[in-house]
Order: sequence, then structure tokens, then C-alpha cells
Amino acid sequence: MDKLKLEILTPNGEIFNDDVVSVTLPGEEGEFGVLPHHASLSTLLEAGVIDIEKEDKSVESILINWGVVQVDEAKVIVLVEGAVAIRGDNESDIANALEDAKQLINDIADANPAIASVSAKIESAAQRLL
Amino acid sequence: MANLKDIQRQIKSVSNTQKTTRAMKLVSTAKLRRAEELARRSRLYAAKMNQVIAEIAGRIKCNKVGGIDNRCFIDIENPKMIDIVFVTADKGLCGGFNIQTIKAVKKLIKEYKSKNVKVRLRGIGKKGVEFFKYNEVEMFDSVIDLSSKPDKERADEFIMTSIEDYKDGKIDGLHIIYNGFKNMMTQELHVSTILPVDTEQFECGDVQNSMLEIEAQDEEHMLDSLVNRYVEYAMYYALIDSVAAEHSARMQAMETATTNAKDMVKSLNIKFNKARQAAITTELIEIISGVESMK
Repeated sequence: MDKLKLEILTPNGEIFNDDVVSVTLPGEEGEFGVLPHHASLSTLLEAGVIDIEKEDKSVESILINWGVVQVDEAKVIVLVEGAVAIRGDNESDIANALEDAKQLINDIADANPAIASVSAKIESAAQRLL
Repeated sequence: MANLKDIQRQIKSVSNTQKTTRAMKLVSTAKLRRAEELARRSRLYAAKMNQVIAEIAGRIKCNKVGGIDNRCFIDIENPKMIDIVFVTADKGLCGGFNIQTIKAVKKLIKEYKSKNVKVRLRGIGKKGVEFFKYNEVEMFDSVIDLSSKPDKERADEFIMTSIEDYKDGKIDGLHIIYNGFKNMMTQELHVSTILPVDTEQFECGDVQNSMLEIEAQDEEHMLDSLVNRYVEYAMYYALIDSVAAEHSARMQAMETATTNAKDMVKSLNIKFNKARQAAITTELIEIISGVESMK
């Protein structure tokens, strides 16, 4: 199966670096999906959720507050300001991540009125894991 | 000859100091490891960020008539007001770490003053802020607990003032001065010009690849947004790099202090032994002469 390499970097280090099947990004002008062999492009991302479909078909969600993405045929590099990955091996880890994510949303909520839908999205991402 | 008790007390005090300095060295070593790790991870982001900016700025520069018209990328010929942001530590006991930065700041201020450029000094870190306050150098503003605990949000907030003022035309340049980490033994002083961003480094050659067309308007909007992040990040990186350097400087200073204390204890011990010997000799002479006189 075709894969693309996804790297997500924050000022505090890398939070994701792996081969994935597809990735959905919250672009400034609307959400867009990227599959392998996507045409090159670079654009800004707004606050939202990055959905990553991994090789084992599981989906991981990462909440971001701002970002810029560079897409080329084999690789997607995302630079973000603040990010919280909704993941964990047990319930309490996931609950913690959810807590962090809500915190991040609260921080950006003032600046962005369209944030309400993001909140619902991460809730459902967490539900999926539980 | 000094009193035996005095010497003993001195030895005790010096070895206590030695204990403290050794402990401080160990603490710094541990903190350094953490700070360095943070700086190292963060450098990845820096590299990518520069790459993205270079690509977009390069594209605008080469494809658009007149080049980039964002103020952040244009060299201003006759600057009137310059922002200087410096980062020092909140604590001392780290050798020449703080004074080096302060010296560089003073030099830069002098340089600008001689060109009749006004300087707005913005300080981070207690040591530097106190120095300039004491010397009655006017400061625009300062924060004192940011350099020991770098925090992205607070750093952003702090530097945002400069970015906005730059974009509004209130200031014509931004420098960040800090002492950065080079390796375990040395620190490196960085005097970097953050704004205007140097456009010389952007080349046209490598940006003409199969990029999807983005409308020029979008590109400029993107660049504007990016440059904020770029400056914010430069500030944050200066802080974390400075923390790493501070710990390495302190580690080194404490190492030297420990060695010095050790040498001092050694020489005091010799002094103590000599004094003890002298006391014994005097006592013996007293007894012998006492016996002699009884004969």
C-alpha cells in the first residue's frame, strides 16, 4: 500500500514522525485530506484537529492551534505552535490528554470564534479510543 | 603565627563552601542535561521553519515585480529607533556569563548612539535588568523571571510588542542578544538581528520546483503570519539556549570553585600543622627551660 511520511513538529520537539496512509488537515480555507502522491503545496493551518490514518487503519487525532504545512509527493511536514495528541494506553492517559486539549482550546477560543466544532471533534476522538 | 582555633575554623568554613559548590555543580549538570535536550529537540523545528520561510519569501522575491513589500523583509535605510532585547540569567554564580551579555549590550547601544539612533532596551533576566537599573540606563520594559523558566506563551507575549511596533513603523529594527550554549565548556555570545529578516539568504534557484500555484495574495498573507511565528520562535529559542548556557557556565564556575576550595583546604592544613608544631615546640621549650632553671 502507498504510504506518505508525516512529520509534526512543535517548538518543544517532534510529536509525530511515521509513515501514514492519509492525513486530514484543518487548512485556513477549509479542511483538506492528503493521500500519497499529492501535489506539492504549502499553506497555513488554523486551529483544529489533524486526523491521521495510520498503517494499521487506526486513526489518531492531534489538536493544534496554528500551523503551517508543506506537502510534497512523499512527505508532509507540519509545523505547529501548540499541539496535543489525543492518545494513551489506558483511560486515565486519555482523560489527561483530553484535559490538556481542552486547556489548549480554551487558550485559543478567544481568538477564534469557529472553535466550538473543534471541541466536539476531540471529544469524539477520545470516545473512539475508550 | 595564627591561632590554632582560628585556622581550624577557617578549614571548616572552606570545606563547607566546597560542599555547597560541589552540590551546585551537580545540580547544574542535571539541569544542563535537560535544558540541552530541550534545545536540541527544538532545533529541528527551527530548521524547518527557516526552510519554509526561505521558500515562500524566495518565491515572492523572485516572482513578484518589486520583490517583497512586507516591512519585515525590507532593509530600512535610516533607522530611527531600534529595539534591543537581551537575555541574562536570574541568578549569579556562573562566571562571566551575565557580564559578557551586558558588555555586548553596552557596546551595541554605544554603536547606535554614535549614529544618532534611539535605542529601546528591553531586558529579560534579573541580573541584567538590575545592572542597567543600577547604572541608570533607561529601559523600556523588563521581565525578571522568564529566563530561568522559559515559557513559550510568555515569551510570545513579550516579543509581540516589538513585532507590532515594528509593523506599525514605531521601531526600525530588532536585535536579540544572549549567551548561547556551544558545548559543555564554552558559551557563545549571539548578537542577532531578528528584524528586518535578512533577504539575502533567500535564493531563487531551489524554489522553482513543482509547487502548486498559490495566489500571490495568499503568499503574502502566509508570509506575514509566518514572520510572527519566526520572531516569536527566535525569542523562545534564545531563552532555552540561554538556560542551557547558564547551566553550563555555572557548572564550570562551580567546578573551579570546588577545586580552589580543595587547594585552599590543603594549604590551610599545612598552615595548621605548622602552627601545631610550633605550639608543641614552644611548650617543650617552656618545660625544658623550667626544668633547667630549677637545677
